[in-house]
Amino acid sequence: MEAWRNVNRETLEVDVLIVGAGPAGLSAALRLAQLQKQQGGEPLSIAVIEKAPDAGRHQLSGALLDPSTLHELIPEYESKGAPLGTAVDNDNIYFLTQKSKFRLPITPPPFQNHGNYIISLSHFTKWLASQVEAEGIDLFWGFPGQHVLYEGSRVIGVRTGDRGLDKHGKPKGAFEPGADIHAKVTIFADGVRGHLTRQLYSDLQIGRDAEPAQFAIGIKELWDIPKDRLKPGTVIHTLGYPLRQEEFGGSWLYAMNDGRISIGFVVGLEYHDPLFDPHAAFQHFKRHPFITRILDGGQVVRYGAKAVPEGGWNTQPKLFADGALIVGDAANFVNSTRLKGIHLAMRSGMLAAETALAAVRRNDTSSNTLSAYKSRVDASAIKTELYPMRNVHQSFGAGLIAGGAYAGIAMFTNGRLLPDWHGHAGHRVMRTIEKYYGLEKRDILVPSNAAPIDRKITFDKVTGAHYSGTHHDEDQPVHLLVQTDVCHSICGSEFGHPCVKFCPANVYEMVDDGTGGKRLQINASNCVHCKTCDIMDPYQVITWVAPEGGEGPSYDGM
Amino acid sequence: MILVIAEQKDGKLNRASWETIAAAQQLSGGAMPITVAVAGERVSGAAGELAQAEVTEVIAAEHAALAHYTPDAFVQALGQVIGEVKPALVFFPHTYQTRDFSPTLATKLDRALVTDVIGVKQTGGTPTFSRPMFQGKLTADVQAQGPAPHLVTIQIGAFRADAAQKGSSAAPIKNQPVTVDEGKLRQKPEAPFQEAKQAVDLSQAERIVAVGRGIKSQENIAVAEQLAKAFGAELAASRPICDNGWLPMERQIGSSGQTVAPKLYVALGISGAIQHLVGMKGSRTIVAINKDAEAPVFEVADYGIQGDLFELAPAIIAELQK
Repeated sequence: MEAWRNVNRETLEVDVLIVGAGPAGLSAALRLAQLQKQQGGEPLSIAVIEKAPDAGRHQLSGALLDPSTLHELIPEYESKGAPLGTAVDNDNIYFLTQKSKFRLPITPPPFQNHGNYIISLSHFTKWLASQVEAEGIDLFWGFPGQHVLYEGSRVIGVRTGDRGLDKHGKPKGAFEPGADIHAKVTIFADGVRGHLTRQLYSDLQIGRDAEPAQFAIGIKELWDIPKDRLKPGTVIHTLGYPLRQEEFGGSWLYAMNDGRISIGFVVGLEYHDPLFDPHAAFQHFKRHPFITRILDGGQVVRYGAKAVPEGGWNTQPKLFADGALIVGDAANFVNSTRLKGIHLAMRSGMLAAETALAAVRRNDTSSNTLSAYKSRVDASAIKTELYPMRNVHQSFGAGLIAGGAYAGIAMFTNGRLLPDWHGHAGHRVMRTIEKYYGLEKRDILVPSNAAPIDRKITFDKVTGAHYSGTHHDEDQPVHLLVQTDVCHSICGSEFGHPCVKFCPANVYEMVDDGTGGKRLQINASNCVHCKTCDIMDPYQVITWVAPEGGEGPSYDGM
Repeated sequence: MILVIAEQKDGKLNRASWETIAAAQQLSGGAMPITVAVAGERVSGAAGELAQAEVTEVIAAEHAALAHYTPDAFVQALGQVIGEVKPALVFFPHTYQTRDFSPTLATKLDRALVTDVIGVKQTGGTPTFSRPMFQGKLTADVQAQGPAPHLVTIQIGAFRADAAQKGSSAAPIKNQPVTVDEGKLRQKPEAPFQEAKQAVDLSQAERIVAVGRGIKSQENIAVAEQLAKAFGAELAASRPICDNGWLPMERQIGSSGQTVAPKLYVALGISGAIQHLVGMKGSRTIVAINKDAEAPVFEVADYGIQGDLFELAPAIIAELQK
């Protein structure tokens, strides 16, 4: 081991460490502050670390906010200036074919959004962070957690990422080793496919008794269109084109004030076609006459992508361990039928805070004591909402019709009478080129659903990466670890380099290796931190780790 | 007693030395005597200046081997001064020079080193030092452990140089003989030099030939080099070329490289991803050479040539040389 790796690291001792300043982590922090105030006693030391350079920069969602949890966490949220955006005015669901659209005569209950708000999650998170900071809690922006620290099987904290390493991993002039933050309780709020929670999956086997997690990728753009085109508060969801029966997903289009719209496309990361490209599907969607008419003459202002944990209740991992709790997207708390998770993330953060505070006060943060968090979740609105829908996403694995029927029955019976449906991890259902296409010869470098790029309505991925505002110093170690030679040896013939297709930011490219073959080039500086590669790569050889603190997309209004 | 190590170059003291004296005076509050030492080849002038401060004594440690800074010579010389003076604390200005040698000195003496200190105080009679953590987000109070002396480096700008109190009369100056075993110096200093500005300053270039992925291989970079030479232009590149290490990173144009606006910009085999365009679209005249007629670079180009750069570049060179 190189000598500099043995550097003395700063250590910081806190009572509660929260990893990730999204809705879950910030709600946990705020709830801790509130409870301390109510209960009195020695104040806890609390730290929140976050890889984004400041509040909200890595937050992306549709987003429709169900304000139920917000009511409880911050009852006076209106007077405190919560950026609730635009109240939902009307709901519309369409089924698209290539040329036409059919409006669903009734809007199914999960899609009814009366009383909800169209928000920007990045703005909402920024506001939530200001509420936390007002309570005197330290928020450390630009400090990614990089390694979970253990003492035996007990989680004792997190080591933050090193700064100032060059692309070969050698210290540069301004090298600063990451610090060790030790905590009695660490709350993992590191988001969908959190890279630290993932360490808990492998080190503590927290997923052993859960269904395999299921994910989707959501790709989003903000547009400014002529102001009179859509009434603010209009909510449109579509199913169907350009997805086939075998792909699960759909679109959203939310109209906010001043002609600003949020438009996006979600595809389940369990598609079979190895050459399928979710970003291309989004472009086809925008080229549909119905959508083009809305966007025409408008301008794209932001782009981003993020994975969504869609598997539901049965995919939640073990939520606690010695010294650790898991909240929000990291624990897969999303209602994929309602396309909502912010309120669940917030609630799980609150419940974790209650558990953590009680445990620290008792001076017992063992798994046994922290298991109270699971009981709280089971007694909460999280279960009431997610349990009846626990099989819906899995059932769509059997196709749109079967899935739709199952979802319908689940809805009307409140989830009773139905057997549990077992899902498979998405990367395992991707088929090989030969299984999917037979022996027919194909150009594996081109997506099967390639879309024309006109740079007016449709854009290539590199342009998207630009609109995400993403930035990474080129002279640092690549933060996507691919330690294998399968990319140039067998992946081409087996799967046709699916990473090139599923990455929405052109991070992965197969380029000529100069000897007639192909080699993988990783454009890590394009990465928008969506985690799709970590999830969907069929060999599971891509590991997403945090780049230098403060880097990544720069979402504003997303 | 607090020993302050002042820093001079060519007989001139730096401001950080005075800041460090101010820090020592604050901690002492008049209760601990302060000695200032300055090392170099000839330091009597600097010692005379230091003697103006409200301190007990100034030590001038002179040796020919200290003319130009080397860590080994300074560790030897200052180690002797510390051994002679036997201070409780040694304060250094947190300069590049101190950062270079102080860890070695602390290791040689086997004493604690507290770096980057921004505040000093006494807590129940124990000197306590504040230093930033987490890039300045937090401040930690630390106390050094183990036998004296404890070594402390004072961050630049944390104390005000003009807060260093002057004495009513000049402090006595003592010449402290030091020996330097020159056989043990592992470094041989060259004459100091002013670091040249970045070798290539593309932002100043009037003409730039930038090469992109269309060049295909490292060997072909020569084609672009020749074209740049024929134009009298600097050579630059898009990200993939520098990422491959075919050209150094400082020649990269675009959002993660440099932004340029020359009179002439020739884009050779560059498709024109928006990340590249933001770095060069302010150029007066843009000439794009690309075999793909759909390449976005043609949208910003004043002159576009669709074709094979390996045919076009030699033809242009031949034309320019006529």
